[in-house]
Amino acid sequence: MTRLRAEGLTLGYDDRTIVDNLDVTVLDGKVTAIVGANACGKSTLLRGLARLLAPRAGTVLLDGRSLAELRNIDVAKVLGLLPQTPVAPDGITVADLVSRGRYPHQGWFRRWNDDDHDAVARALDATGTADLIDRPIRELSGGQRQRVWVAMALAQDTDLLLLDEPTTYLDINHQVELLRLLRKLNAESGKTIVIVMHDLNLACRYCDHLIAMSSGAIVAEGAPVDVVTGDLVEQVFGLNCLVVPDPIAGTPMVVPA
Amino acid sequence: MTTTTTSDLRSATSGTAAALRANRRRRAGRSILVTCALTVAVAALFVFTMMVGSFRIGAGEVIASVLHLSDNPSVDFVVRGLRLPTAAAALTVGLALGASGTIFQQVLRNPLASPDFVGITSGAGLAAAAGIVLLQAGGLVVSGLALGGAILAALAMYLLAWRDGVTGYRFILIGIGVAAFFEGLIGYVLSRAQLFEARQAMHWLIGSVGQASTTELLLLTGALVVLLPVAVLLQRPLGALDLGDDTARTLGARAELSRAGLLGTAVVLVALAVSVAGPIAFVALVAGPIANRLLGPAARGVLPAALVGAGLLLTADLVAVHLLPTPLPTGVVTGAVGAPYLLWLLATTNRQGAGG
Repeated sequence: MTRLRAEGLTLGYDDRTIVDNLDVTVLDGKVTAIVGANACGKSTLLRGLARLLAPRAGTVLLDGRSLAELRNIDVAKVLGLLPQTPVAPDGITVADLVSRGRYPHQGWFRRWNDDDHDAVARALDATGTADLIDRPIRELSGGQRQRVWVAMALAQDTDLLLLDEPTTYLDINHQVELLRLLRKLNAESGKTIVIVMHDLNLACRYCDHLIAMSSGAIVAEGAPVDVVTGDLVEQVFGLNCLVVPDPIAGTPMVVPA
Repeated sequence: MTTTTTSDLRSATSGTAAALRANRRRRAGRSILVTCALTVAVAALFVFTMMVGSFRIGAGEVIASVLHLSDNPSVDFVVRGLRLPTAAAALTVGLALGASGTIFQQVLRNPLASPDFVGITSGAGLAAAAGIVLLQAGGLVVSGLALGGAILAALAMYLLAWRDGVTGYRFILIGIGVAAFFEGLIGYVLSRAQLFEARQAMHWLIGSVGQASTTELLLLTGALVVLLPVAVLLQRPLGALDLGDDTARTLGARAELSRAGLLGTAVVLVALAVSVAGPIAFVALVAGPIANRLLGPAARGVLPAALVGAGLLLTADLVAVHLLPTPLPTGVVTGAVGAPYLLWLLATTNRQGAGG
């Protein structure tokens, strides 16, 4: 039983089709990375899975029901997404921003209760941002800011969390820190996590499952050890390379030849 | 295993939860304090504008007369007959402009996006000027035309800016274009007018709270009674919308529907305000930022912004009618104060690179 999957999914913008007739299954309780070259359709796929983009054809199924049939607010209680470049109003503080993750759990008149408090406090603690609550987002470093956004997504308290290139603007230290945080969240709460990312080595090291995409289609998928080979990297990224075991974790590591 | 880590997490969060509670309480306290202080200030200004003039009346007498508690024909004539309509117009028009300005700015995520800049006020102005000049209309007909013009202008812009939804930046650019087009047409209409009608149209176009009729005031008051609570209620989706459409949808908000609802509310408010008092400049532009300065950033306070708008307009009317050597239309005073603010806003937004 998987909670999130797509059948015959076709996605596109205007008159361009980006993702064509794709079947995808997101493994429950695992950390999955979607990798691929620029413009291979990986972010588009993620947007389709999170119903930010309506399918041209096919369906995305959440718990066996089509996303199109479900109410936005009900989807938002189960499925969260951190966009690639989220925007925040000028001067907003960390506490205010993270609290807004509670939106789907509140009603028009029921505004704020202990559950909300607990969820926000847990999200702040899990991401190590609790001591920043009074600070405006604008004043934070890139790494801190990304952790705050993750905290907002965590406060939403969803079983599935999709992240669109969360590591792109971070230095190597903060990239690793963020991926470790996501691993920890997955280990502690069994949260299903899907990350779109560029760095194949980090994806192999920190994710359970890899989906490799090229020109809108899935080329390979499976555990990193099973799928990452020199041929695959050549095919997906057009890079001639050597794949060696990571000296620490033993996961595949790509070294340009 | 999961249970122990969860309980660990729970115990670890108690300090954070306390800090978070304190933070929330502080913000809520500040919001209540600001709203109460603004309410008191606006009420005081409202009474004060009815006390001053060539015939000075005490605060107690003004309040008694407005509430029909006393029976003093001469005071009643001055207060209820002469001063109350103007004061009530300043109050209601200010509330409507303040609320609609802050909604526009927040929905379109740009401090420049007040209805006076994105062509809605110019749409009202064009319809009113055309009515005065071409149809020799006056009174309620002009107000009705202004109302229709504002709503049509807003609809036209919404449709023009539509491309898989409406984004702030497109809407603002199209609004500025539409405003320039309408201003040009207003110029054309005025150039075709006889002197008397041109004067009348010019007076209307500057905007003044002294020209409201009782029917218009009742209409605006009724709209405020219904729409202000609606606007306050719609602050909830606003909290998701101002994080951008993607995040808003991810959080379960119906972004397009909420935006249409918010803009619709704001358009009706500003259209009625303009039809009552003419296009009074800058109040809608400055009310929201002033309220935000008082409340702290990203506070979304529609009610405080409405109160700031009322306070500004009551003050502007006091200055226009009593402090200056010759009484002037209110719009001249708000324009003179608002223009430097606009320049400052343009200069500082550009420096931060947040101008869009």
